Order: sequence, then structure tokens, then C-alpha cells
Amino acid sequence: MKVAFAREIIYSHLAMQTASELDLTFQALADGTRRSMVHSLARGRPRSASELGRQFRSAQPTISKHLKVLEKAGLVERTVEGRIHLFRLRRKPLKNAEQWIARQQSFWEGAVDQLDRLLKEASGDE
Amino acid sequence: MSNVTAAELRRHLASAPEKVFAAFADAQIISRWLTPSSDVKLAVLDFDFRVGGKYRFAYHIPTGQIMTVNGMYRVIEPPSKIIFSWNIEPPDDHAGVQSEVIIGIAPDGEGSELHIRHERLTAAGAVERHREGWHGAVDQLTLLLVKPEQTA
Repeated sequence: MKVAFAREIIYSHLAMQTASELDLTFQALADGTRRSMVHSLARGRPRSASELGRQFRSAQPTISKHLKVLEKAGLVERTVEGRIHLFRLRRKPLKNAEQWIARQQSFWEGAVDQLDRLLKEASGDE
Repeated sequence: MSNVTAAELRRHLASAPEKVFAAFADAQIISRWLTPSSDVKLAVLDFDFRVGGKYRFAYHIPTGQIMTVNGMYRVIEPPSKIIFSWNIEPPDDHAGVQSEVIIGIAPDGEGSELHIRHERLTAAGAVERHREGWHGAVDQLTLLLVKPEQTA
């Protein structure tokens, strides 16, 4: 089963297609304020830019800028209700990031299994 | 919950650190083990094992597909440490995966402890600049992933 999973890692074009999305995800999360915003949205209901501004004591243009970065990374989704723009968290990019790491984990587990065998063979030959 | 910040593993190996290190330092040896499974064959296209030197690996899958990875050796400290970048080359021009692999080899009893950490980075060449931000980001990511359903 391990072999089958390892193959799947390589076959996965999904991983390649989401590569730049992953970069966006991690770029978006590299900023402390944006992380806090993601956290805040993860805990509660969708919020407007002005609510988020009050919560983070930031000027509206700053909040808007952060929201745009999060939106571009697909981490927040905007819905417009009348004049209010509401922002909610999207979890898919976070899950994609987790999957990428799981694939690399499997790659290295498989490689080190083979390294272990190779070293044992080599020491047996001595 | 597994570590979602990076792919990471520690493994005891019966061989001394020098021998484990040597397995990373030679193209011919690397081609015999640095693949996810024994039916995925590694063809080493480039291999310049020195700081600043580049490598390029082609992984041949039984179905005929090929995955190519390239990178550069950033740190080489025999027999204990190797750091290299790890970039997957997509078939289409969609090369976005920029990551870094950190290999640590320490004496452990009569053998070694091999520590591999594969991190995602925000951008190529931004390793140092983003290190703190990265770790902060993944801590938060961990929290979010651990408790995905307690919200909403």
C-alpha cells in the first residue's frame, strides 16, 4: 500500500497545479495581522471590513489591503449584501497546504527506507 | 495530528554519520535510494555537490511519466548537515513549488540519527528573510487545521 501511495504523489498533477496557489497561501500567512484576521474569521461568523478594522485597530485602507491579499490567496471569500462587504474564511487552501506536506512526508519516508536497506547491504558486504 | 508545518522525520540508522553523509554526496549512490519507492527510478541529470552547486533529478514512474526536481546546495557541512532547495518542475510552465530540505546527521549510539525536514517556502531566495514569518505562519496554520470544525 505504501508503494501505491508513493506513486500517487508523483502522479498528482493536482500538486503541480496548486503550486502557485500554495505560494500565495504561504505569502498571505507570512504576515502577523493577516494571520490574526484568518484566526478571527475561523472562530466566528463572516465579518465586514469595518468590523475587522475595529477589531485590529487598523485604518480601513490597511485592512482592505490585507483582505485583498487574503482574497487573492483564496483564504477569504467576499459576499456583497447591499453596501456591506462580508468576508468569510475558506479552508481549502489550508487543506491544500497540508496535502502538499503529506506528499513530501511520504516521499522521504520511502527514500529513507531505501537508504536504510542500502546502508545495511553495504555494511554486510564489508 | 501529524506535523503540518513541514514534512519531517527522524530515523536511527546503523551506519556512522560519515557513511550516511556519503550517501547524499555521490550521484551514483543517490540514484539507488533517493526515490519514494523502489519502482520509481531516479536518473541524476546534474550533480554538483558543493555549496552553490546545482542538481537535477528525473524520477521515472513505471507508467512512463517523469517528474523532474532541481535545486541548489546551500549548506554542506560534512558529516552533519546539508541544506538544499527543492523545486519541482511541472510539465507545464507552472513552476511554483519552492521548498527547502534540511538534512541533519548526528551520532546516535553506534550509528546515526538522520533528521530530514522539508519546508515550504514563500518564495525562492527568500529563505532567511521569511524564516520567522514562515514559522509563525505554520504555527497558525497548525492551529487552524487541528480545529477545523469548532468554528463557523
